[in-house]
Amino acid sequence: MVGRPRDEAELVVRAQRSDENAYEELVRMHQEVAFRVAYIHTGSAADAEEAAHDGFVKAYRALRRFRRGRPFRPWLLAIVANEARNRRRSTVRRQALALRAAEQVRPGDAAPSPEAAVLARERRALLLEAIDRLSDEHRLVVACRYFLDLDVEETASALGIREGTVKSRLSRALERLREEVADD
Amino acid sequence: MTELERELRELRSVLEFPPTPDLAESARRDLPAGPRPLWPRRLGLAAAVALLALALGLAVPPARSAILRFFGIGSVRIELVERLPEVRPGAPLELGDEIDADDAPFTLLRSDLLGDPDHVYLRDGVVTLLYGSLQRVRLLVSQIYGGGSAQELGKKLLEGGSSVEFSEIGGLEEPGVWITGRPHVLVLPGGPPRLVGDTLLWTRDGITVRLEGARSREQAVEIAESME
Repeated sequence: MVGRPRDEAELVVRAQRSDENAYEELVRMHQEVAFRVAYIHTGSAADAEEAAHDGFVKAYRALRRFRRGRPFRPWLLAIVANEARNRRRSTVRRQALALRAAEQVRPGDAAPSPEAAVLARERRALLLEAIDRLSDEHRLVVACRYFLDLDVEETASALGIREGTVKSRLSRALERLREEVADD
Repeated sequence: MTELERELRELRSVLEFPPTPDLAESARRDLPAGPRPLWPRRLGLAAAVALLALALGLAVPPARSAILRFFGIGSVRIELVERLPEVRPGAPLELGDEIDADDAPFTLLRSDLLGDPDHVYLRDGVVTLLYGSLQRVRLLVSQIYGGGSAQELGKKLLEGGSSVEFSEIGGLEEPGVWITGRPHVLVLPGGPPRLVGDTLLWTRDGITVRLEGARSREQAVEIAESME
């Protein structure tokens, strides 16, 4: 039987007592989302790696300040995102989300007809272009909520804004997207 | 979920992020010896001094009002005195001129938990957010810019029966101070002394905050953590 993931709260307590193994496990649990949050801020894999790495090291140093019983991920993401924002080159507009839509069909998908596949691809391209035209702040909030699947609290941490702002910003971003990709 | 939201979610599965590097290995190599202690040494010392001051304050028999010891947090000084000054009970709150929150002289800390205050006042650099009304105060949050040891911007006078406890506030390096027990006196610049109840004091981003009116220490800390 595959062992279930260790209880995060227990790992945090152990890491707070300087247990590096426990912290390493916490890093493994969250490294993907941390790296991706850093990536949407920097638009560069190298910068994102550096930001996430430094964020994890800083988080370890600050771990005693983490309040037990609180969700760990938003706290961590706030630190990583801060590192990422510091690396962002203000002179260069980030290349959209620097993400590419993979062309392959997801495993398990029913094979679509060629026409349907083309339509779906076109629709996706349209949507991606519309996201690309959004302002930075709108694009980031869309990326956090839909591409990284962060909840509102995590999004607020990852963007350094209030939860209320996440909701209002997201609502405006969706409104804008709706106008851009309206079928009619 | 709207159709557009569903489409955005679906986009997730076809978007390619760069592969995630192994950060666990690299971070572990660079970990410092251990997480930093919760309180810096300086604060540990301050806490010890404060406790000593309290012990002394309680040990001295009542006499004419005299300052025994003091310690401060941010821009607020906490003084232990043997006798509180006379304060007119039930005196109306004098918080200064009502202003728009955007006109505050510094960027205010705000709380999603509390939402927008009902009124905002400014007096001599102290901004007070009032929840409720002057007649029925639910919560008062005063913010004073200048969290260092610089200028004294307000003080609190305590006598025996009040207790001062350090209180950890999540996300902040330095603990706050919870003053509880007997009512104490608050003196802010330009205002008359005022008798106040349980209060939490803390500093964040150079701003000293005092919160009055929370139902419990836990609630006060929760509010403090929400203010950024």
